[in-house]
Amino acid sequence: MSTVDVAVDVAVVGAGPAGLAAAAEAAAFGLSVAIVDDNPRPGGQYYRHPPPAFRPAAAAPADKERRRREAAFAVLAHPEVKYLPNATAWNLPEPGVLAIAAGERSGRLAARAIVVAAGAHDRPAAFPGWTLPGVVSAGGMQNLFKSQLIVPGTRAVVAGNGPLLFLIASNLVRAGLRVEALVEAAPIGVRLPAALPLLAWSPRLLGAALSYRAALSRARANVLAGWSVTEAHGNGAVEGVTVAPIDGNGRVDASRARRFACDLLVTGFGLVPSVELPRLAGAVLDYDRRRGGWTVRRDRNLETTVPGLYVVGDGACIGGVDLAEVEGRIAAAAIADRLGPQPGARARRADLLARRARQDRFRRGIELLFAPPGDFLALLTPETVVCRCEDVTFAELEACRAEGAAGAAAIKARTRMTMGRCQGRYCAPTLAQFLARAGGVDVAAVPMPRPRAPARPVVLGDLAHEAIAPPVLPDDPHLPRAPRA
Amino acid sequence: MRVKGGVERGEAFEFRFDGDVVTAFPGETVAGALLAAGRRGLRRTARLGMARGFYCGMGLCWECRVVIDGRPAQRACMVEARPGMRVESGPDAGAAEG
Amino acid sequence: MSEAGGPLPTRADVVVVGAGIIGLCTALHLARRGRSVAVLERGEPWGESSGANAGTLSLQVKRAEVLALTRRAIALWTEMQEGLGIACGFARIGGLRVATSERECAALRRVQAELAAHGVETEWHEGAALHALAPWLGPGVRAATLCDWDSMSNPLLVGHGLVAAVRRSGAAVIANAPVCAIEPAGDAWRVGAAGGAVAAGAVVIAAGAWSGALTAMLDVALPLAADVNMLTITEPAPALIDRIVTHVGGILSLKQYPNGTCMIGGGWQGRGDVRSGRREIEHENLVHNLRIAAQVVPALAHLRMVRSWAGFEGVAADALPVFGRLPGRTGIYINACARGGYSQGPALGEQMAELIAAGRTSLDMRPFDPSRFVN
Repeated sequence: MSTVDVAVDVAVVGAGPAGLAAAAEAAAFGLSVAIVDDNPRPGGQYYRHPPPAFRPAAAAPADKERRRREAAFAVLAHPEVKYLPNATAWNLPEPGVLAIAAGERSGRLAARAIVVAAGAHDRPAAFPGWTLPGVVSAGGMQNLFKSQLIVPGTRAVVAGNGPLLFLIASNLVRAGLRVEALVEAAPIGVRLPAALPLLAWSPRLLGAALSYRAALSRARANVLAGWSVTEAHGNGAVEGVTVAPIDGNGRVDASRARRFACDLLVTGFGLVPSVELPRLAGAVLDYDRRRGGWTVRRDRNLETTVPGLYVVGDGACIGGVDLAEVEGRIAAAAIADRLGPQPGARARRADLLARRARQDRFRRGIELLFAPPGDFLALLTPETVVCRCEDVTFAELEACRAEGAAGAAAIKARTRMTMGRCQGRYCAPTLAQFLARAGGVDVAAVPMPRPRAPARPVVLGDLAHEAIAPPVLPDDPHLPRAPRA
Repeated sequence: MRVKGGVERGEAFEFRFDGDVVTAFPGETVAGALLAAGRRGLRRTARLGMARGFYCGMGLCWECRVVIDGRPAQRACMVEARPGMRVESGPDAGAAEG
Repeated sequence: MSEAGGPLPTRADVVVVGAGIIGLCTALHLARRGRSVAVLERGEPWGESSGANAGTLSLQVKRAEVLALTRRAIALWTEMQEGLGIACGFARIGGLRVATSERECAALRRVQAELAAHGVETEWHEGAALHALAPWLGPGVRAATLCDWDSMSNPLLVGHGLVAAVRRSGAAVIANAPVCAIEPAGDAWRVGAAGGAVAAGAVVIAAGAWSGALTAMLDVALPLAADVNMLTITEPAPALIDRIVTHVGGILSLKQYPNGTCMIGGGWQGRGDVRSGRREIEHENLVHNLRIAAQVVPALAHLRMVRSWAGFEGVAADALPVFGRLPGRTGIYINACARGGYSQGPALGEQMAELIAAGRTSLDMRPFDPSRFVN
């Protein structure tokens, strides 16, 4: 890619379900599209699949998932679609421009509209032992299973909060592991009757959920709803877990704790939208715990408060794959209509919006069923690591509070929490909840840290490949200069 | 362990992790091959000396970082295994305190 | 540093406006001289320029006019960490100022001679000897001067330690107290801020890039502006760069912290303005900055950048400190807008305390008098 002179109608960030759908819809309207994705292969997290070196066994029929994936990938062969794998969109330096790090192809991409479909990552919940090897995030487990066909253990416990846990546990059973327990923090049995009418709006997904539940029963896995993992045990790697009942306020009843031996603990506490790029562009966010925490404010067309910047799928707010695909298409149809106008775009958008409304009902049913406790701070012990990158323990956070240094800036300065390689992804939500509780306010009232580029770490040397004119060297800043306004 | 059925893997090859021979198949990541071999702990942290391993599986948490052929801070979940690779659990980049 | 620091006092001997390096050091030295002090900060203490700067304390990049001041400051930095026990991440590791072309080498020779004329000796290194001294320098670096005064600090640590030390000394540091009025009240001044007003015999404007707005309240116009300096920090790397690195053209500052992260700056400008508070990185300037850094230290090219940001720095038209009595406003002082003022901060604070308490300064501060801008 020769940098800034590349211009397209639509730049899409992310080659997962939402991004691919947006690209397909835009291309179908005759728009030129570039898809920027930081993975070597397309699909995002949902469409992870084995590498080409893994050949399908001769007897294996093309299953439904594979057919759906291949249909989604068809857009990559479209003549108007430029697909850039191994390319990190790391900043939106000005309206309609993406900064991209991609080795020798690094540079800038100009577009008449930008669709960010950056997906989500696991919500961290710190508990004693969560850093032990063998404790794997739900997303990590799914990726390993889908793209490598590897399961990292023989006896598993799956714990946390959210519908993904059932899918993972049934996959592990299918792979031949012994699943000791599925531990779900929400009391889903009690809530099911109220949620069922909403869930019925997607018979397909409801059917899938029931089949996961049935598979766990057949495998004689314990299904504990209204329970939480409270500790992972092990010397060098996980050997067992303790679980206990948890109520809606996050209080744990240790008197009823149970312990399971395992060599794999999969934990998922829901997902967090990857909102780094919209934040760098200055888009307004709203706090919505049911949709993943900080979510991107959008209008009916899924355009953010920054004109020309659209955000779709789980990267805006958590809603799952079907909703993500329909959102990608809505944004693309809206862009086509705006850039066009295009015959049929209006009608198409109305049709998509109706589809989205149906899926929204199912989503609301899921949210009702799995609404989590207020927080998981009750699980923290003094030794619990709250920041993985910088090895910060809960005792150090408490020490800051005891010494009156309870603000985010003071905690950062003293502990380096949120300043490591993960850029705060796996500690900032814990810190926000700690600050909320320390300040006696709702977590929505705790401001997010100022957004800082790059959206993801990029290799410094990559940027040197961008073809830009030699610099106008600044005068030595220590010398006098003409005053500026 | 590797899930059987559905796919045919290519021809196995070997690389080394902290000197030990590890078997991998073409297309596997370093983390995948190590986990399949039962190697869960990939490094120790500089400050508290805690064991860490594969966690987020999508290149964001940096917990699975290892030294590969002398290059520090390579994410085992993102790098494809190659025959003869030398993978090491340390030393981690950066000093113990800071 | 979100502790509010209690309610606004009604009286103080001195009100200091601004809780950055200069304001806090002014307060610290005044308190040690027995003055009651209230520091009013519009946002979070240490929340703006001081907290966003690179922490470089380089003597050899400074102009002749501020060499004595900076040398005094580096001695005070040493004392803050070793004498007062304020963890500053201070380390006097020496600095290399590099030149990468024949023209730059000639300029560096001139700079070295000028420094020597003012009593600052630096060592000239070039060719194989330079690369033996600093094997991590790239082949394009032709020569460098080594200055053993050059030091580093960690601004994150300094802020926390300094605010705590100022409070221990008896001064009040009040957060979220933007000053809205400075008015005469008898033979004293009344400083109005969010939450009340403080009566004080003396007021020190130490508000960095915001100082011009404060002197304007007193109908004194000074030619003060704000730079928007960009900085980048990398992931941790094995220990490598064992000196402060600067450039003869002033276009690079570089250091590695004990935790392995590398901080890259050099005065490259981002975008933003003080009034709205908005500031962001400017793409091409950032690329140039990082490219030059990787030419000087090639190992940086393999590291990942983890964060970039832009911070304001107040700067006067002649890029010298603005220090002294505000003309025609008895009892009002200004101590602000020194280019590279972070490194000079401790000495600017000490000198201001001397001026207020004793009426004169131990260093010659006349070249920095604000009257130079006022007819």
